[in-house]
Amino acid sequence: MGKAFDLSLLGTFLPELLAYLPITLLILAASLFFGLLLGLLLAIPRLYNIPVLTQLVVVYVSFIRGTPVLIQLFLVYYGLPAVLGLVHLDLSRADPLLFVIVTYSLSSAAFLSETIRGAVNSVDLGQTEAAYAVGMTARQAFGRIVLPQALMVAVPNFANKVIGFLKDTSLAFTIGVMDMMGRGQTLISATAHALEVYISLAVIYYLVVIVLERLFAASERKLQQHERKWASA
Amino acid sequence: MIHLKNIHKSFGRLNVLNGINLTVERGDVVVILGPSGSGKTTLLRCINFLERPNDGEVTIGALTVDCRHPSRKDILELRRKTAMVFQHYNLFKHKTALENVMEGLIVAQKVPKKEARERSLEMLEKVGLSDKCDHYPSQLSGGQQQRVGIARALALNPELILFDEPTSALDPELVGEVLAVIKTIASEGVTMIVVTHEMGFAREVSNHVVFMDGGVIVEQGTPADIFVDPKEERTRQFLKRITPEWSYPMEALR
Ligand SMILES: Nc1ncnc2c1ncn2[C@@H]1O[C@H](COP(=O)(O)OP(=O)(O)O)[C@@H](O)[C@H]1O
Ligand SMILES: [Mg+2]
Repeated sequence: MGKAFDLSLLGTFLPELLAYLPITLLILAASLFFGLLLGLLLAIPRLYNIPVLTQLVVVYVSFIRGTPVLIQLFLVYYGLPAVLGLVHLDLSRADPLLFVIVTYSLSSAAFLSETIRGAVNSVDLGQTEAAYAVGMTARQAFGRIVLPQALMVAVPNFANKVIGFLKDTSLAFTIGVMDMMGRGQTLISATAHALEVYISLAVIYYLVVIVLERLFAASERKLQQHERKWASA
Repeated sequence: MIHLKNIHKSFGRLNVLNGINLTVERGDVVVILGPSGSGKTTLLRCINFLERPNDGEVTIGALTVDCRHPSRKDILELRRKTAMVFQHYNLFKHKTALENVMEGLIVAQKVPKKEARERSLEMLEKVGLSDKCDHYPSQLSGGQQQRVGIARALALNPELILFDEPTSALDPELVGEVLAVIKTIASEGVTMIVVTHEMGFAREVSNHVVFMDGGVIVEQGTPADIFVDPKEERTRQFLKRITPEWSYPMEALR
Protein backbone atom coordinates (compact mmCIF):
# COMPACT_ATOMS: atom_id res chain seq x y z
CA MET A 1 0.00 0.00 0.00
CA GLY A 2 1.02 3.61 -0.54
CA LYS A 3 1.41 6.38 1.96
CA ALA A 4 -1.40 8.29 3.69
CA PHE A 5 -3.69 10.06 1.24
CA ASP A 6 -2.69 13.66 0.62
CA LEU A 7 -4.98 15.72 -1.59
CA SER A 8 -2.56 18.60 -1.80
CA LEU A 9 -0.25 16.42 -3.90
CA LEU A 10 -2.64 16.88 -6.83
CA GLY A 11 -1.27 20.40 -7.11
CA THR A 12 2.16 18.95 -7.88
CA PHE A 13 1.10 15.91 -9.86
CA LEU A 14 -1.35 17.61 -12.23
CA PRO A 15 1.23 19.93 -13.86
CA GLU A 16 3.85 17.14 -13.83
CA LEU A 17 1.51 14.89 -15.75
CA LEU A 18 0.09 17.60 -17.99
CA ALA A 19 3.57 18.18 -19.34
CA TYR A 20 3.23 14.76 -21.03
CA LEU A 21 -0.17 15.42 -22.55
CA PRO A 22 1.46 16.39 -25.88
CA ILE A 23 2.89 12.86 -26.17
CA THR A 24 -0.55 11.38 -25.61
CA LEU A 25 -2.04 13.72 -28.19
CA LEU A 26 0.78 12.94 -30.61
CA ILE A 27 0.01 9.23 -30.37
CA LEU A 28 -3.66 9.98 -30.96
CA ALA A 29 -3.10 12.35 -33.89
CA ALA A 30 -0.53 10.18 -35.65
CA SER A 31 -2.56 7.00 -35.31
CA LEU A 32 -5.71 8.81 -36.48
CA PHE A 33 -3.86 10.13 -39.52
CA PHE A 34 -2.47 6.76 -40.56
CA GLY A 35 -5.60 4.99 -39.38
CA LEU A 36 -7.78 7.13 -41.65
CA LEU A 37 -5.55 6.54 -44.66
CA LEU A 38 -5.37 2.81 -44.07
CA GLY A 39 -9.05 2.71 -43.11
CA LEU A 40 -9.98 4.24 -46.45
CA LEU A 41 -7.86 1.63 -48.23
CA LEU A 42 -9.45 -1.15 -46.18
CA ALA A 43 -12.95 0.14 -46.97
CA ILE A 44 -12.43 -0.02 -50.72
CA PRO A 45 -12.48 -3.82 -51.27
CA ARG A 46 -15.77 -4.16 -49.44
CA LEU A 47 -17.34 -1.14 -51.12
CA TYR A 48 -16.46 -2.49 -54.55
CA ASN A 49 -16.90 -6.15 -53.64
CA ILE A 50 -13.42 -7.12 -54.74
CA PRO A 51 -13.05 -10.88 -54.22
CA VAL A 52 -10.28 -12.24 -51.96
CA LEU A 53 -9.37 -8.75 -50.70
CA THR A 54 -12.85 -8.42 -49.24
CA GLN A 55 -12.47 -11.66 -47.30
CA LEU A 56 -9.02 -10.61 -46.08
CA VAL A 57 -10.38 -7.30 -44.85
CA VAL A 58 -13.31 -8.98 -43.13
CA VAL A 59 -10.96 -11.30 -41.25
CA TYR A 60 -8.65 -8.43 -40.35
CA VAL A 61 -11.45 -6.24 -39.02
CA SER A 62 -12.95 -9.09 -37.06
CA PHE A 63 -9.55 -9.94 -35.55
CA ILE A 64 -8.96 -6.36 -34.43
CA ARG A 65 -12.45 -6.08 -32.97
CA GLY A 66 -12.10 -9.41 -31.25
CA THR A 67 -8.79 -8.91 -29.47
CA PRO A 68 -7.81 -6.48 -26.70
CA VAL A 69 -5.75 -3.58 -27.92
CA LEU A 70 -3.23 -4.33 -25.18
CA ILE A 71 -2.52 -7.69 -26.76
CA GLN A 72 -2.32 -6.09 -30.20
CA LEU A 73 0.27 -3.74 -28.74
CA PHE A 74 2.40 -6.63 -27.47
CA LEU A 75 1.97 -8.51 -30.73
CA VAL A 76 3.35 -5.51 -32.60
CA TYR A 77 6.03 -4.82 -30.01
CA TYR A 78 7.42 -8.35 -30.14
CA GLY A 79 6.23 -9.32 -33.61
CA LEU A 80 7.31 -6.36 -35.71
CA PRO A 81 11.04 -6.68 -34.88
CA ALA A 82 10.83 -10.41 -35.57
CA VAL A 83 9.21 -9.84 -38.96
CA LEU A 84 11.49 -6.97 -39.94
CA GLY A 85 14.45 -9.02 -38.67
CA LEU A 86 13.77 -11.34 -41.59
CA VAL A 87 14.70 -8.51 -43.95
CA HIS A 88 17.60 -7.49 -41.69
CA LEU A 89 16.01 -4.36 -40.32
CA ASP A 90 17.09 -3.87 -36.74
CA LEU A 91 14.43 -2.33 -34.49
CA SER A 92 16.17 -2.98 -31.19
CA ARG A 93 16.97 0.71 -30.79
CA ALA A 94 13.63 1.97 -32.10
CA ASP A 95 11.61 4.35 -29.93
CA PRO A 96 8.72 2.46 -28.29
CA LEU A 97 6.53 5.32 -29.53
CA LEU A 98 6.91 3.80 -32.99
CA PHE A 99 5.31 0.52 -31.91
CA VAL A 100 2.50 2.35 -30.22
CA ILE A 101 1.71 4.45 -33.27
CA VAL A 102 1.88 1.39 -35.53
CA THR A 103 -0.47 -0.54 -33.25
CA TYR A 104 -3.03 2.20 -32.87
CA SER A 105 -2.91 2.98 -36.57
CA LEU A 106 -3.56 -0.66 -37.45
CA SER A 107 -6.27 -0.89 -34.85
CA SER A 108 -8.06 2.37 -35.56
CA ALA A 109 -7.89 1.64 -39.30
CA ALA A 110 -10.07 -1.42 -38.79
CA PHE A 111 -12.70 0.53 -36.87
CA LEU A 112 -12.56 3.56 -39.14
CA SER A 113 -12.90 1.40 -42.25
CA GLU A 114 -16.23 0.23 -40.88
CA THR A 115 -17.29 3.81 -40.23
CA ILE A 116 -16.26 4.85 -43.72
CA ARG A 117 -17.95 1.90 -45.35
CA GLY A 118 -21.20 2.55 -43.54
CA ALA A 119 -21.12 6.22 -44.43
CA VAL A 120 -20.33 5.63 -48.09
CA ASN A 121 -23.07 3.02 -48.35
CA SER A 122 -25.52 5.48 -46.87
CA VAL A 123 -25.07 7.75 -49.90
CA ASP A 124 -27.79 7.08 -52.47
CA LEU A 125 -26.59 5.24 -55.57
CA GLY A 126 -28.49 7.83 -57.61
CA GLN A 127 -25.79 10.35 -56.69
CA THR A 128 -23.12 8.24 -58.34
CA GLU A 129 -25.31 7.62 -61.36
CA ALA A 130 -25.95 11.32 -61.80
CA ALA A 131 -22.19 11.91 -61.61
CA TYR A 132 -21.59 9.26 -64.26
CA ALA A 133 -24.36 10.70 -66.40
CA VAL A 134 -22.66 14.11 -66.53
CA GLY A 135 -19.50 12.37 -67.69
CA MET A 136 -17.43 11.94 -64.54
CA THR A 137 -15.00 9.07 -64.13
CA ALA A 138 -15.49 6.67 -61.24
CA ARG A 139 -12.76 8.41 -59.29
CA GLN A 140 -14.24 11.87 -59.87
CA ALA A 141 -17.69 10.65 -58.87
CA PHE A 142 -16.35 9.16 -55.67
CA GLY A 143 -14.10 12.05 -54.73
CA ARG A 144 -16.39 14.93 -55.61
CA ILE A 145 -19.86 13.56 -55.01
CA VAL A 146 -19.91 10.51 -52.75
CA LEU A 147 -17.04 11.14 -50.33
CA PRO A 148 -18.07 14.66 -49.22
CA GLN A 149 -21.57 13.41 -48.44
CA ALA A 150 -20.23 10.33 -46.67
CA LEU A 151 -17.91 12.40 -44.47
CA MET A 152 -20.86 14.41 -43.21
CA VAL A 153 -22.62 11.21 -42.24
CA ALA A 154 -19.49 9.83 -40.58
CA VAL A 155 -18.72 12.70 -38.20
CA PRO A 156 -20.73 11.66 -35.11
CA ASN A 157 -19.52 8.07 -35.30
CA PHE A 158 -15.98 9.28 -35.90
CA ALA A 159 -16.14 11.49 -32.80
CA ASN A 160 -17.07 8.53 -30.61
CA LYS A 161 -14.25 6.45 -32.02
CA VAL A 162 -11.68 9.18 -31.43
CA ILE A 163 -12.63 9.43 -27.78
CA GLY A 164 -12.29 5.67 -27.46
CA PHE A 165 -8.86 5.79 -29.12
CA LEU A 166 -7.72 8.53 -26.75
CA LYS A 167 -8.48 6.34 -23.76
CA ASP A 168 -6.77 3.37 -25.42
CA THR A 169 -3.52 5.33 -25.60
CA SER A 170 -3.28 4.99 -21.82
CA LEU A 171 -1.90 1.48 -22.42
CA ALA A 172 1.21 2.72 -24.22
CA PHE A 173 3.19 2.88 -20.99
CA THR A 174 3.21 -0.92 -20.84
CA ILE A 175 5.97 -1.00 -23.45
CA GLY A 176 7.82 1.89 -21.89
CA VAL A 177 6.41 4.97 -23.61
CA MET A 178 6.71 8.14 -21.55
CA ASP A 179 3.25 9.59 -22.04
CA MET A 180 1.01 10.78 -19.23
CA MET A 181 0.48 7.25 -17.95
CA GLY A 182 4.18 6.49 -18.22
CA ARG A 183 5.03 9.58 -16.25
CA GLY A 184 2.37 8.58 -13.73
CA GLN A 185 4.09 5.23 -13.18
CA THR A 186 7.42 6.93 -12.46
CA LEU A 187 5.72 9.32 -10.04
CA ILE A 188 4.19 6.37 -8.22
CA SER A 189 7.56 4.65 -7.96
CA ALA A 190 9.14 7.80 -6.66
CA THR A 191 6.45 8.91 -4.19
CA ALA A 192 4.31 5.83 -3.48
CA HIS A 193 1.22 8.07 -3.74
CA ALA A 194 -0.58 5.92 -6.30
CA LEU A 195 -4.10 7.10 -5.59
CA GLU A 196 -3.22 10.78 -5.97
CA VAL A 197 -1.50 10.03 -9.28
CA TYR A 198 -4.48 8.10 -10.63
CA ILE A 199 -6.91 10.78 -9.49
CA SER A 200 -4.80 13.36 -11.32
CA LEU A 201 -4.74 11.17 -14.43
CA ALA A 202 -8.48 10.60 -14.29
CA VAL A 203 -9.05 14.34 -14.05
CA ILE A 204 -6.83 15.07 -17.04
CA TYR A 205 -8.25 12.35 -19.31
CA TYR A 206 -11.74 13.41 -18.38
CA LEU A 207 -11.07 17.06 -19.14
CA VAL A 208 -9.45 16.20 -22.46
CA VAL A 209 -12.45 14.08 -23.40
CA ILE A 210 -14.79 16.92 -22.47
CA VAL A 211 -12.82 19.35 -24.60
CA LEU A 212 -12.83 16.89 -27.53
CA GLU A 213 -16.56 16.35 -27.16
CA ARG A 214 -17.12 20.09 -27.18
CA LEU A 215 -15.00 20.47 -30.29
CA PHE A 216 -16.82 17.70 -32.11
CA ALA A 217 -20.20 19.00 -31.05
CA ALA A 218 -19.28 22.45 -32.35
CA SER A 219 -18.05 21.10 -35.67
CA GLU A 220 -21.12 18.94 -35.93
CA ARG A 221 -23.35 21.93 -35.37
CA LYS A 222 -21.45 23.77 -38.03
CA LEU A 223 -21.81 20.87 -40.45
CA GLN A 224 -25.46 20.54 -39.63
CA GLN A 225 -26.15 24.17 -40.37
CA HIS A 226 -24.80 23.44 -43.79
CA GLU A 227 -26.34 20.02 -43.88
CA ARG A 228 -29.80 21.14 -42.91
CA LYS A 229 -29.76 22.94 -46.19
CA TRP A 230 -28.89 19.91 -48.23
CA ALA A 231 -30.08 16.96 -46.18
CA SER A 232 -32.71 15.04 -48.06
CA ALA A 233 -35.99 16.72 -47.32
CA MET B 1 -27.64 10.58 -85.63
CA ILE B 2 -28.24 8.12 -82.83
CA HIS B 3 -28.62 4.47 -83.62
CA LEU B 4 -29.40 1.53 -81.37
CA LYS B 5 -28.85 -1.84 -82.94
CA ASN B 6 -30.13 -5.08 -81.53
CA ILE B 7 -29.81 -4.08 -77.87
CA HIS B 8 -30.19 -6.97 -75.46
CA LYS B 9 -30.20 -6.73 -71.70
CA SER B 10 -30.98 -9.25 -69.03
CA PHE B 11 -30.73 -9.21 -65.27
CA GLY B 12 -29.77 -12.73 -64.33
CA ARG B 13 -32.37 -14.89 -66.04
CA LEU B 14 -34.80 -12.03 -66.58
CA ASN B 15 -34.63 -10.82 -70.19
CA VAL B 16 -35.58 -7.17 -70.05
CA LEU B 17 -34.60 -5.96 -73.52
CA ASN B 18 -34.92 -8.39 -76.39
CA GLY B 19 -33.32 -6.79 -79.41
CA ILE B 20 -34.13 -3.09 -79.58
CA ASN B 21 -33.49 -1.22 -82.84
CA LEU B 22 -34.07 2.50 -82.91
CA THR B 23 -32.85 5.41 -84.99
CA VAL B 24 -33.07 8.98 -83.79
CA GLU B 25 -32.28 11.87 -86.11
CA ARG B 26 -30.74 15.11 -84.97
CA GLY B 27 -33.46 17.34 -83.52
CA ASP B 28 -35.90 14.48 -83.04
CA VAL B 29 -38.08 14.36 -79.98
CA VAL B 30 -38.79 10.69 -79.41
CA VAL B 31 -41.35 9.64 -76.84
CA ILE B 32 -41.28 6.12 -75.45
CA LEU B 33 -44.54 4.74 -74.14
CA GLY B 34 -45.21 1.42 -72.53
CA PRO B 35 -46.57 -0.29 -69.46
CA SER B 36 -44.59 -0.41 -66.25
CA GLY B 37 -41.86 -3.04 -66.38
CA SER B 38 -41.65 -3.05 -70.17
CA GLY B 39 -37.99 -2.00 -70.10
CA LYS B 40 -38.20 1.73 -70.85
CA THR B 41 -35.91 2.83 -68.05
CA THR B 42 -33.48 0.04 -68.78
CA LEU B 43 -33.32 1.08 -72.43
CA LEU B 44 -32.44 4.67 -71.53
CA ARG B 45 -29.84 3.45 -69.05
CA CYS B 46 -28.31 1.21 -71.70
CA ILE B 47 -27.73 4.22 -73.94
CA ASN B 48 -25.40 5.89 -71.43
CA PHE B 49 -24.21 2.59 -69.98
CA LEU B 50 -25.60 3.08 -66.50
CA GLU B 51 -26.60 -0.46 -67.38
CA ARG B 52 -24.31 -2.39 -69.61
CA PRO B 53 -26.20 -4.09 -72.44
CA ASN B 54 -25.34 -7.73 -73.01
CA ASP B 55 -25.36 -7.38 -76.76
CA GLY B 56 -25.86 -4.87 -79.52
CA GLU B 57 -24.41 -1.59 -80.67
CA VAL B 58 -24.90 2.00 -79.59
CA THR B 59 -23.98 4.71 -82.07
CA ILE B 60 -23.97 8.40 -81.25
CA GLY B 61 -22.61 10.60 -84.01
CA ALA B 62 -19.19 9.30 -84.99
CA LEU B 63 -18.88 6.98 -82.01
CA THR B 64 -20.03 3.37 -82.25
CA VAL B 65 -19.72 1.16 -79.19
CA ASP B 66 -19.92 -2.60 -79.38
CA CYS B 67 -21.80 -3.50 -76.20
CA ARG B 68 -19.96 -6.77 -75.82
CA HIS B 69 -16.55 -5.12 -75.69
CA PRO B 70 -16.95 -1.53 -74.52
CA SER B 71 -13.75 0.13 -73.41
CA ARG B 72 -13.77 2.42 -70.41
CA LYS B 73 -13.00 5.27 -72.78
CA ASP B 74 -15.98 4.39 -75.00
CA ILE B 75 -18.31 4.46 -72.04
CA LEU B 76 -16.98 7.78 -70.80
CA GLU B 77 -17.32 9.25 -74.25
CA LEU B 78 -20.91 8.00 -74.63
CA ARG B 79 -21.72 9.62 -71.31
CA ARG B 80 -20.11 12.86 -72.37
CA LYS B 81 -22.18 12.95 -75.55
CA THR B 82 -25.40 12.42 -73.60
CA ALA B 83 -27.13 13.77 -70.54
CA MET B 84 -29.85 12.31 -68.38
CA VAL B 85 -32.78 13.73 -66.46
CA PHE B 86 -33.81 11.33 -63.72
CA GLN B 87 -37.23 10.45 -62.40
CA HIS B 88 -36.09 11.36 -58.88
CA TYR B 89 -33.97 14.32 -60.05
CA ASN B 90 -30.75 12.96 -58.45
CA LEU B 91 -29.35 16.42 -57.86
CA PHE B 92 -26.06 16.49 -55.97
CA LYS B 93 -27.38 17.03 -52.47
CA HIS B 94 -24.35 18.85 -51.11
CA LYS B 95 -24.21 21.37 -53.92
CA THR B 96 -26.32 24.43 -54.67
CA ALA B 97 -28.45 24.67 -57.78
CA LEU B 98 -25.73 26.61 -59.55
CA GLU B 99 -23.00 24.21 -58.43
CA ASN B 100 -25.11 21.30 -59.63
CA VAL B 101 -25.23 22.75 -63.11
CA MET B 102 -21.55 23.74 -63.11
CA GLU B 103 -20.18 20.46 -61.77
CA GLY B 104 -20.22 18.44 -64.99
CA LEU B 105 -18.84 21.34 -67.00
CA ILE B 106 -15.92 21.87 -64.66
CA VAL B 107 -15.08 18.30 -63.74
CA ALA B 108 -15.94 16.29 -66.84
CA GLN B 109 -15.59 18.84 -69.60
CA LYS B 110 -12.79 20.89 -68.01
CA VAL B 111 -14.50 24.17 -68.89
CA PRO B 112 -12.83 27.10 -67.08
CA LYS B 113 -14.72 28.02 -63.94
CA LYS B 114 -15.75 31.49 -65.03
CA GLU B 115 -17.12 30.28 -68.33
CA ALA B 116 -18.89 27.35 -66.64
CA ARG B 117 -20.50 29.75 -64.22
CA GLU B 118 -21.78 32.05 -66.94
CA ARG B 119 -23.13 29.16 -68.93
CA SER B 120 -24.80 27.65 -65.88
CA LEU B 121 -26.43 30.93 -64.91
CA GLU B 122 -27.76 31.15 -68.42
CA MET B 123 -29.24 27.65 -68.18
CA LEU B 124 -30.83 28.35 -64.82
CA GLU B 125 -32.37 31.46 -66.30
CA LYS B 126 -33.73 29.39 -69.14
CA VAL B 127 -35.52 27.08 -66.71
CA GLY B 128 -36.76 30.06 -64.72
CA LEU B 129 -34.63 29.61 -61.61
CA SER B 130 -32.27 32.57 -61.67
CA ASP B 131 -33.39 33.46 -58.17
CA LYS B 132 -32.63 30.00 -56.76
CA CYS B 133 -28.97 29.69 -57.72
CA ASP B 134 -27.73 29.47 -54.15
CA HIS B 135 -30.41 27.12 -52.87
CA TYR B 136 -29.63 23.53 -51.99
CA PRO B 137 -31.84 20.83 -53.53
CA SER B 138 -33.64 20.22 -50.23
CA GLN B 139 -34.70 23.86 -50.23
CA LEU B 140 -36.41 23.50 -53.61
CA SER B 141 -39.77 22.05 -54.60
CA GLY B 142 -39.82 18.90 -56.71
CA GLY B 143 -40.64 20.90 -59.80
CA GLN B 144 -37.77 23.30 -59.14
CA GLN B 145 -35.37 20.43 -58.51
CA GLN B 146 -36.33 18.81 -61.77
CA ARG B 147 -35.83 22.09 -63.60
CA VAL B 148 -32.33 22.27 -62.11
CA GLY B 149 -31.86 18.71 -63.37
CA ILE B 150 -32.85 19.86 -66.84
CA ALA B 151 -30.51 22.85 -66.63
CA ARG B 152 -27.71 20.51 -65.56
CA ALA B 153 -28.33 18.34 -68.60
CA LEU B 154 -28.68 21.26 -71.00
CA ALA B 155 -25.49 22.95 -69.81
CA LEU B 156 -23.46 19.99 -71.03
CA ASN B 157 -24.61 20.75 -74.56
CA PRO B 158 -25.10 17.03 -75.23
CA GLU B 159 -25.99 15.44 -78.53
CA LEU B 160 -28.88 13.69 -76.82
CA ILE B 161 -30.82 14.17 -73.59
CA LEU B 162 -32.49 11.16 -71.98
CA PHE B 163 -35.57 11.89 -69.86
CA ASP B 164 -36.85 9.09 -67.64
CA GLU B 165 -40.38 9.93 -66.54
CA PRO B 166 -39.30 13.44 -65.59
CA THR B 167 -42.64 14.38 -64.08
CA SER B 168 -43.91 11.16 -62.56
CA ALA B 169 -42.51 11.87 -59.07
CA LEU B 170 -44.07 15.34 -58.98
CA ASP B 171 -47.22 16.57 -57.32
CA PRO B 172 -49.79 17.15 -60.05
CA GLU B 173 -49.71 20.92 -59.68
CA LEU B 174 -45.96 20.95 -60.39
CA VAL B 175 -46.04 18.85 -63.56
CA GLY B 176 -46.95 21.76 -65.81
CA GLU B 177 -43.90 23.90 -65.07
CA VAL B 178 -41.52 21.05 -65.88
CA LEU B 179 -43.32 20.03 -69.06
CA ALA B 180 -43.29 23.65 -70.17
CA VAL B 181 -39.50 23.77 -69.85
CA ILE B 182 -39.08 20.52 -71.76
CA LYS B 183 -41.39 21.83 -74.49
CA THR B 184 -39.31 24.97 -74.82
CA ILE B 185 -36.03 23.13 -75.25
CA ALA B 186 -37.66 20.64 -77.59
CA SER B 187 -38.74 23.51 -79.81
CA GLU B 188 -35.14 24.72 -79.85
CA GLY B 189 -34.01 21.59 -81.61
CA VAL B 190 -32.45 19.65 -78.73
CA THR B 191 -32.45 15.94 -79.57
CA MET B 192 -34.18 13.95 -76.87
CA ILE B 193 -35.71 10.66 -75.90
CA VAL B 194 -38.47 11.03 -73.33
CA VAL B 195 -40.11 8.25 -71.38
CA THR B 196 -43.43 9.60 -70.15
CA HIS B 197 -47.01 8.80 -69.36
CA GLU B 198 -48.12 12.35 -70.15
CA MET B 199 -50.06 11.65 -73.31
CA GLY B 200 -51.03 15.24 -74.05
CA PHE B 201 -47.41 16.27 -73.83
CA ALA B 202 -46.32 13.31 -75.95
CA ARG B 203 -48.75 14.16 -78.72
CA GLU B 204 -47.88 17.81 -78.70
CA VAL B 205 -44.10 17.68 -78.50
CA SER B 206 -42.86 14.49 -80.10
CA ASN B 207 -42.26 13.77 -83.74
CA HIS B 208 -41.69 10.08 -83.19
CA VAL B 209 -43.47 7.74 -80.81
CA VAL B 210 -42.27 4.33 -79.73
CA PHE B 211 -44.47 1.82 -77.95
CA MET B 212 -42.62 -0.82 -75.95
CA ASP B 213 -43.90 -3.92 -74.24
CA GLY B 214 -42.11 -6.97 -72.91
CA GLY B 215 -38.68 -5.67 -73.85
CA VAL B 216 -39.41 -5.15 -77.54
CA ILE B 217 -40.61 -2.25 -79.62
CA VAL B 218 -44.13 -3.26 -80.55
CA GLU B 219 -44.81 -0.33 -82.80
CA GLN B 220 -43.33 3.03 -83.71
CA GLY B 221 -44.25 5.95 -85.92
CA THR B 222 -45.44 9.54 -85.96
CA PRO B 223 -47.74 10.67 -83.15
CA ALA B 224 -50.62 10.45 -85.60
CA ASP B 225 -49.69 6.87 -86.52
CA ILE B 226 -49.57 5.74 -82.93
CA PHE B 227 -52.28 7.80 -81.27
CA VAL B 228 -54.82 7.92 -84.04
CA ASP B 229 -54.27 4.79 -85.97
CA PRO B 230 -52.31 2.19 -84.00
CA LYS B 231 -51.74 -1.02 -85.93
CA GLU B 232 -51.08 -3.35 -83.05
CA GLU B 233 -53.68 -4.61 -80.65
CA ARG B 234 -51.31 -4.25 -77.70
CA THR B 235 -50.79 -0.56 -78.51
CA ARG B 236 -54.52 0.01 -78.69
CA GLN B 237 -55.11 -1.73 -75.38
CA PHE B 238 -52.40 0.33 -73.72
CA LEU B 239 -53.67 3.64 -75.06
CA LYS B 240 -57.20 2.80 -74.07
CA ARG B 241 -56.06 1.98 -70.54
CA ILE B 242 -53.90 5.01 -70.05
CA THR B 243 -56.19 7.60 -71.69
CA PRO B 244 -59.77 6.39 -71.73
CA GLU B 245 -60.73 9.61 -73.47
CA TRP B 246 -57.97 9.30 -76.05
CA SER B 247 -60.25 9.28 -79.01
CA TYR B 248 -61.73 12.74 -78.92
CA PRO B 249 -58.79 15.19 -78.83
CA MET B 250 -57.29 13.26 -81.72
CA GLU B 251 -59.30 15.25 -84.20
CA ALA B 252 -56.72 18.00 -83.80
CA LEU B 253 -54.06 15.78 -85.33
CA ARG B 254 -55.97 14.73 -88.40
N1 LIG C 1 -31.07 -3.58 -61.61
C1 LIG C 1 -32.04 -4.48 -61.85
N2 LIG C 1 -31.92 -5.74 -61.39
C2 LIG C 1 -32.88 -6.67 -61.63
N3 LIG C 1 -33.99 -6.43 -62.34
C3 LIG C 1 -34.18 -5.19 -62.83
C4 LIG C 1 -33.21 -4.15 -62.61
N4 LIG C 1 -33.66 -3.02 -63.22
C5 LIG C 1 -34.83 -3.34 -63.78
N5 LIG C 1 -35.15 -4.65 -63.55
C6 LIG C 1 -36.33 -5.33 -64.05
O1 LIG C 1 -36.40 -5.09 -65.44
C7 LIG C 1 -37.75 -4.94 -65.86
C8 LIG C 1 -37.87 -3.66 -66.63
O2 LIG C 1 -37.67 -2.59 -65.75
P1 LIG C 1 -37.67 -1.06 -66.23
O3 LIG C 1 -36.70 -0.91 -67.33
O4 LIG C 1 -37.46 -0.25 -65.02
O5 LIG C 1 -39.13 -0.90 -66.79
P2 LIG C 1 -39.99 0.43 -67.00
O6 LIG C 1 -39.08 1.61 -66.88
O7 LIG C 1 -40.55 0.28 -68.38
O8 LIG C 1 -41.06 0.41 -65.98
C9 LIG C 1 -38.59 -5.01 -64.62
O9 LIG C 1 -39.11 -6.30 -64.51
C10 LIG C 1 -37.62 -4.73 -63.51
O10 LIG C 1 -38.01 -5.38 -62.34
MG1 LIG D 1 -39.18 3.23 -65.55
